[in-house]
Amino acid sequence: MTAISNPSARRINHAAGALTALNVLVAIFWAFPIYWVLVTTLKPEQDIVRPGIDLWPDRLTFDAYTYVLFNTQIGQWYLNSLVTAGSVTFAVVLMSAAAGYAISLLEFPGRKLLWWLILASFMVPIPALIVNHFVLMSQIKLLNTWAGVILPQLLAPVTVMIYKQFFDSVPKEFREAAVMDGATQMQLLFRLYLPMNWGITTALAIITFIGAWNQFLWPFLAVTTQDKMNVTVGITQVTDAFGVKYARDLASAVLAGLPVALVYLIFQRRVTQAIMLTVGIQG
Amino acid sequence: MASVELQNISKVFGGLRVIDNLNLTVPDGSFTALLGPSGCGKSALLRMIAGLEQISEGRALIGGVDITNEEPARRKVAMVFQSYALYPHLTVEENVCFSLSLAGMPKAAQKERAAGVAKMLQLESLMARRPAQLSGGQRQRVAIGRALARNPEVFLFDEPLSNLDAMLRVQMRLELTKLHKDLKTTMIYVTHDQVEAMTLADQIVVLEKGKIQQVGSPWQLYNQPANRFVASFIGSLGMNFLPARATPSGQGATVALGDSTRIDLPLRMTAAQPVELGIRPEHLHLVAAGTGDIAGKALLVEYLGNTSYAYIESAFGQVIVEADGSESLETGPPWG
Ligand SMILES: Nc1ncnc2c1ncn2[C@@H]1O[C@H](COP(=O)(O)OP(=O)(O)OP(=O)(O)O)[C@@H](O)[C@H]1O
Ligand SMILES: [Mg+2]
Repeated sequence: MTAISNPSARRINHAAGALTALNVLVAIFWAFPIYWVLVTTLKPEQDIVRPGIDLWPDRLTFDAYTYVLFNTQIGQWYLNSLVTAGSVTFAVVLMSAAAGYAISLLEFPGRKLLWWLILASFMVPIPALIVNHFVLMSQIKLLNTWAGVILPQLLAPVTVMIYKQFFDSVPKEFREAAVMDGATQMQLLFRLYLPMNWGITTALAIITFIGAWNQFLWPFLAVTTQDKMNVTVGITQVTDAFGVKYARDLASAVLAGLPVALVYLIFQRRVTQAIMLTVGIQG
Repeated sequence: MASVELQNISKVFGGLRVIDNLNLTVPDGSFTALLGPSGCGKSALLRMIAGLEQISEGRALIGGVDITNEEPARRKVAMVFQSYALYPHLTVEENVCFSLSLAGMPKAAQKERAAGVAKMLQLESLMARRPAQLSGGQRQRVAIGRALARNPEVFLFDEPLSNLDAMLRVQMRLELTKLHKDLKTTMIYVTHDQVEAMTLADQIVVLEKGKIQQVGSPWQLYNQPANRFVASFIGSLGMNFLPARATPSGQGATVALGDSTRIDLPLRMTAAQPVELGIRPEHLHLVAAGTGDIAGKALLVEYLGNTSYAYIESAFGQVIVEADGSESLETGPPWG
């Protein structure tokens, strides 16, 4: 820095300061509801409905959490969510990688058509299909089963597109070298193309998992018995005959969201990368 | 080890004949260079031998076996790519072993083979690294090692040295020569650099526009070029072509350059006709004005240290003369 003060530099500093302050303000505004939820779950029910705003509980209690954990089937719901979201993730990633590979690198009749179909299916919003899905699943008797929850979620054109784009971008010499080394198509996919960039696969797996875990509409329609519900659907069952219990409802919401929040925190960088990838396709 | 034989091979891309009815025999154990300007079809030819490109017409034999429609991996050839194409997610050792591992060779045997290759190419200290952690020359050696591990009967190289700097290229050239001496495996080497072709190969194939212009040893190409293309392509600055007149005389012919110069050549001809006389720059000398065969003025002198090239404007057009680097040349004065 020079000793001579530069008026325009100072103006920039003021502007940057104002921007930072604004950022902090918006961040507080954004985070406040989350904070409010957490605080509320730690209050006794009577204190919640008391008039006035208590930013910190007078009496701290974990009653709401213990109630949800021990008096509902949340354990089963977790399991259901884990199994369905896990299966969806595994199947979507595997099928998309294979489909993307075939469309990008294999010569077969109908390849263009298949690609156009996948592009077209991307234009159809999933909720528009939900009645058909329901009718189909009920006809093949898969309502109230894991399979019924999983199958309609396997439509993932965006993942196919991301894989195709990636495979397109790999220089063809790698493929040719591996072909000369004697690789079959399966070996090319699983020993060359996927391992070459596990980042893409992990990013897509994480974002698919979070999406499947957070699914509400379809699991809500496909399941009516409590013991087959996903956690997102199950928490709507934590109601009480004697009116709304805010602490319990919010505690169940916190518990439902917790695994996703953890996944996000652990794989933050990968998730951001995945979002960039999908935005690249959708933007 | 095996010979490679191409019989009436053609390659057509769309309507374009990139290789046109080509016949070539690469003898067992030979180091053959495919030499030609950019776009002449060298890579296309090599890739057809490798099996990466379908052969449009004709037959290809390796070791006497027809492999025209054989899978690339079953042709017993290994290829070194210009970009090396090392698998980025594997270590050097895994790169070298990749083909063996695909073929299901036991881990211990793979390691043993890799160790042998590493010793031969001085890769021992690099085995645990990934390609991104290697220099260009090291990557090149790994790429050769990967080809070596397969124990091929024919090695194919597509401009393997073109991504290296000049010093390293000379060094790798020596290593390749040594490798060929040790292995005595047939090698086919694509290059557009005549120095590489001349120094490495025992047989050079000059290609142009998908046709073979000449096949021969480096000596033959330099001293007995089959046609004008080869003559101008081989040699550091090509050849000077001077208009002249040839008349039959005795066993050969006499070529007249201008009014005074006569050269007797062992040419067979029946009638007098205009010809072009090709003379390499290194076979002309500068002499004092009025004493030589070609008179002219130097337009430009390129000084290269050990030698200089003088571009002389003469009655026969521009003539390039190689001169001793110790003479100090100036443009302007007339030379004989
Ligand atoms: N896949 C392809 N489709 C159409 N034309 C091609 C294809 N591959 C090569 N060609 C054409 O074939 C001709 C020969 O190409 P090739 O790659 O063999 O040249 P080259 O001699 O190796 O040149 P360079 O020294 O630049 O590598 C070129 O005119 C090129 O445009
Ligand atoms: Mg080429």
